[in-house]
Amino acid sequence: MLSYILNLLPSMLEGLKMTISVFILTLALSLPFGILIALGRLSGNKLISSIFQLYIWVMRGTPLMLQLVFIFFGLPVVGITFDRFDSALLAFVLNYGAYMGEIFRAGIQSIEKGQYEAAKVLGFGPTKAFIRIILPQVIKRVIPPITNEVISLVKDTSLVYIVGLGELLRAGKIASNRDASLVPLAVAAGFYLILTALMTEGFKRYEKKYAYFE
Amino acid sequence: MVLEVKNIKKSFQGNIVLSDISFGLDSGEVMAVVGPSGAGKTTLLRCINALETSDGGSIKVDDKYLYREEKGKMIYADKKEMKDIRKKLGMVFQNFNLFPHKTVLENIIESPVNVYGVSKEEAIAEAGKLLQMLELTEKAEAYPHQMSGGQRQRAAIARACALRPSIMCFDEPTSALDPELTEGIAAIIEKLAGQGMSILVITHDMGFAKRIADRIIFMEGGQIVHSGTKDEFFEGSDNERVKRFIQS
Amino acid sequence: MNKKINRILITFTMIITILAAFTGCSAKEPAAANTKSTGFAKLQEQGYVVVGLDDTFVPMGFRDAKGEIVGFDVDLAKEVFKRTGLEVKFQPIDWSMKESELNSGNIDMIWNGYTITAERKEKVAFSEPYIASRQVIVTLADSAINAKADLAGKTVATQSASSSLDAINTEPGLAASFEGGEPVLFATNNEALMDMEAGRTDAVVADEIMIRYYITERGQEKYKILDEDFGADEYGIGIRKEDTELLEKVNKTLDEMKADGSSAAISEKWFGENIIK
Repeated sequence: MLSYILNLLPSMLEGLKMTISVFILTLALSLPFGILIALGRLSGNKLISSIFQLYIWVMRGTPLMLQLVFIFFGLPVVGITFDRFDSALLAFVLNYGAYMGEIFRAGIQSIEKGQYEAAKVLGFGPTKAFIRIILPQVIKRVIPPITNEVISLVKDTSLVYIVGLGELLRAGKIASNRDASLVPLAVAAGFYLILTALMTEGFKRYEKKYAYFE
Repeated sequence: MVLEVKNIKKSFQGNIVLSDISFGLDSGEVMAVVGPSGAGKTTLLRCINALETSDGGSIKVDDKYLYREEKGKMIYADKKEMKDIRKKLGMVFQNFNLFPHKTVLENIIESPVNVYGVSKEEAIAEAGKLLQMLELTEKAEAYPHQMSGGQRQRAAIARACALRPSIMCFDEPTSALDPELTEGIAAIIEKLAGQGMSILVITHDMGFAKRIADRIIFMEGGQIVHSGTKDEFFEGSDNERVKRFIQS
Repeated sequence: MNKKINRILITFTMIITILAAFTGCSAKEPAAANTKSTGFAKLQEQGYVVVGLDDTFVPMGFRDAKGEIVGFDVDLAKEVFKRTGLEVKFQPIDWSMKESELNSGNIDMIWNGYTITAERKEKVAFSEPYIASRQVIVTLADSAINAKADLAGKTVATQSASSSLDAINTEPGLAASFEGGEPVLFATNNEALMDMEAGRTDAVVADEIMIRYYITERGQEKYKILDEDFGADEYGIGIRKEDTELLEKVNKTLDEMKADGSSAAISEKWFGENIIK
């Protein structure tokens, strides 16, 4: 049994690499993108705000798998072609950016008006006030909901098989089919659990780091 | 005159909140604006601090216009002028609005260092003096949530003083305090005025106004109904409402 | 407020753009880039063809424990293009997207136990058939199902987007007679067999070559294959209709390999017998 699992590892680790690449790049890009979406959504300009609202509705209101298919197979029809990895990453960032955006929006809106005013009377311009005064407080408040999204993201990475990328679950399924065994799927489950445990722990530490103020 | 307010008008959705307010504040003078709630006192203070726009009139801080009316149009200070004006205005909010993620010291040096380009060493040295004056030295590294209401207020005062403004505004400084701390804040205001700062205090506490003010303005319904030096104010009103308010 | 937020927006857009550009550079190049090639000359110029395959299709094309893509079709393709002087790249795809992958130019051919059907012929050009198989009905060894007619009222499973599903659908009214009015679809034959062992599915319709692999793996004694089937089928290589020269080359090379016995050798390696048509 153990030797069978060891035998599975090389191909599973290959899949894990893809899973982690999609995961990390999506996380790294969708967080700042989410802040941008939140700001767009909160813009005083009605047109900008409604465009972002529409965007959030479309991204959260349609399945991620459909968005993947649309970007990879649909866009080339109108002459825009991305390769497999870029398509997957684009779909994930666009989708997760919308979710992150709504989290940041709630976070930004939860900051008291007085904080903006205090920054204003102290001479801060809007951008500086946002980055130095508002954002650190927003980040503290959004860590718990973002942890939830991050865990969803770890698992959602399995969807990239639709554009032909071999990720962890796919590697598990291939081995499962090849060997007519469920063990590879259990191994895949183990990897997902390790990943989510690491993420949960990481964010817990981050949360603690922000516990110094209230 | 360090502050000149002329014919300020402000209405929210047709409700007139300020109608034609004019007054001046002299250097080193302590002025209290009193009146019942809803009189427009806070809105006036917010207009002076450019947290609210005005519908008409002008406000001049030292020799710079925060805004003025010209041919029916409001002309606001540009970005650079605004920054200079803000440097001359200090504001202590009713609930202080300290930055919760920064220590007292960081709260104080945040603006000098990051907005006005003061060197960090210089800003810290200046903050040290302020903290000493306000008896907060041992709280320099504390976060706002670790302090009492009175300490937080003093921290907010220190922050507002960091750039040595010529005018210091207080919005209801006694409202969030236990009554026994009122004397403490009165003493601080006296001390600041003694250093040449002009002070503008919004309060509904007539006793407090009497304790600190050189001049008092009574507002009601968006208008100044009575004003004068402290002595004139308490002796010379023939307005029934003012009398009642003074006695209450 | 309006102006303020808009200014913040602009600042962040810039940050994002920089970030995106940065990661864009670091994103690795895929093994097989989009080719969009038409015409054999273009393939020769780039020096390789991209074969699309579902890497869960054992034993035609799948990954071994080391993660290498191997299989009967893979060996066959390698040999064909060695003789044609082109490199072969194998691109795993999602099987339900195979025709989209081909026609959008992401891959140059579908070569993975791809059964020739009338429906598929409308979308792609097929090579000459190189393997003959049939669509069989598999049940548990002790099942009371012994003929196609017995499937009425029973739960029948098959692989989604497969030729087996097409075969079921060519018999009018048959699928409607199943429990639930249609077959239950699984991503792989292995899952269909597992479902049958769990007692939820009564029969599995599948391509004989594909299903025999699993029957062997899972234990031959557990299953029976009915005599009655859904007809013969043949595997072909799917190529874009406009790539006629590529098609010709593939056909010619397969003929040569059949003649000199090299296809037979590959068949022996994977199936223990020569099943080359």
